[in-house]
Amino acid sequence: MASSGQPSKPTPTGQGEGPAPPGKPTTVESHVLDMGAKMLQAMKPIRKIQQHACTFALYAHDLTRQIETHHFVSRLNQDVLQCAVYDSDLPTARLIGVEYIVSDKVFEGLPAEEQKLWHFHAYEIKSGLWACPRVPEALSKPELQDLSKTYGKFWCTWQVDRGDRLPLGAAALMMSPQGVNLGRVRPDLVKSRDENYRLSTDELKASRLELPEPDQWINPNADYWKQHGKGFALDVVETEMKRMAPFP
Amino acid sequence: MATSHVEVPGEPTHTGTAMVETATAAIQSFAPINKIHQHLCAYYDTTLSFSRLSRLHIFHFYGDDMSRQVEAHHFCSHQNEEVRQCLIYDSPEADARLIGVEYIISDVLFLTLPDEEKPLWHSHEYEVKSGALFMPSVPSAAQRQDLQKVSRTYGKTFHFWQVDKGDPLPLGIPQVMMALTRDGQLYDSLAEDVEKRFGMSFAKEREKRAYMTGPEHGIHPLANAAGKGIKLQLREVHLSPSESVPRVFV
Repeated sequence: MASSGQPSKPTPTGQGEGPAPPGKPTTVESHVLDMGAKMLQAMKPIRKIQQHACTFALYAHDLTRQIETHHFVSRLNQDVLQCAVYDSDLPTARLIGVEYIVSDKVFEGLPAEEQKLWHFHAYEIKSGLWACPRVPEALSKPELQDLSKTYGKFWCTWQVDRGDRLPLGAAALMMSPQGVNLGRVRPDLVKSRDENYRLSTDELKASRLELPEPDQWINPNADYWKQHGKGFALDVVETEMKRMAPFP
Repeated sequence: MATSHVEVPGEPTHTGTAMVETATAAIQSFAPINKIHQHLCAYYDTTLSFSRLSRLHIFHFYGDDMSRQVEAHHFCSHQNEEVRQCLIYDSPEADARLIGVEYIISDVLFLTLPDEEKPLWHSHEYEVKSGALFMPSVPSAAQRQDLQKVSRTYGKTFHFWQVDKGDPLPLGIPQVMMALTRDGQLYDSLAEDVEKRFGMSFAKEREKRAYMTGPEHGIHPLANAAGKGIKLQLREVHLSPSESVPRVFV
């Protein structure tokens, strides 16, 4: 069956027609319904989203596939964040996955098998790859220090970089940029990001030099590929469904 | 069954952190912060299509276990008339955990999917027509306009955080989720609990929705995991080139 690592077969609607998903434009009726819903329905969890970060991620089964991501972050408590991840910050942005971020304290409490699915954020922050567009760096600084000691777990559910016009296949595990080998982000991706958001990754890196090197022990289970040369793919498999009623 | 309320591990948010993040005017010397905050909120409004979000309440169960049923609070926006994307939370409250995502597409688009993709998607017709899928806080008649469309759609859902198991964090691998497809699947106690909390009656809604139709060509036999069970499995892969492992000695 489909695997997160397999290339997708093109749908008859065709690839290369531009990034928008196939389908008719949103009707006025739908817009009106949505606006009405917005007036009536509380959106409390959404209102908690108070940060936008632009960064990069790599597919855990193929680190040469790298994407720019837009994280919309909300905080559950001092040690845990949850992020809705999109492929841009435009109104047309596609929801491409979810990332969870935890402090090193919480991470150390996880079983080893679980830790392998996570990545460390120090390099991403210190290198300036993780950027907060439109927010003065001075405002971000205190948070960046804490963030640089966190671990993340990122599932990608729509592989737009391979041209999927709809979300296909299994979810894919993602890894974070690292300072070595396949963990390095392609310069053209960084340049393009910097131009779009009028940022300078190099300047951010320079301004973050003063962030302490994470001198605590970096858990070797995280960024699993660095120590073991192995990545992770997810396959879709048929299985027995435990059921108490007929299905479907 | 119902969402367990296990504490997420970690300390309560420090005041300093909260202040930086909400950019509150309490930091008197940071006059521009309020403006940044307002601007950011407006900016996020645009980006995340806050003005175009609507909530759907949907029941999911695990693709390999119908007996594990969860309430999934969807916050959805239109990519276009035929494609929606939803953030799924375990409650509609401010402290809700983001537990998954769902994509909802028209039956027309569903038919264009490769056959091996179709089993990952579930139909919505039964759940809409039974009354169990609804738009919280929206008057019944207003809901039906949209729900008629939803009843013809298919959804693809992954959950990352198994809150029903009491997991304090999003552990393990993503779970493919399915939706209700016939009477007798949804637990009565769960149904009653939801009806009570939202002040509604599925049976009454079902009557009002009897006129609704599902996908034009009927529910595709490959949808809903083709009637079988479905799940994801993790596999280690060799990364190439072999130089992926940093060498200590060149």
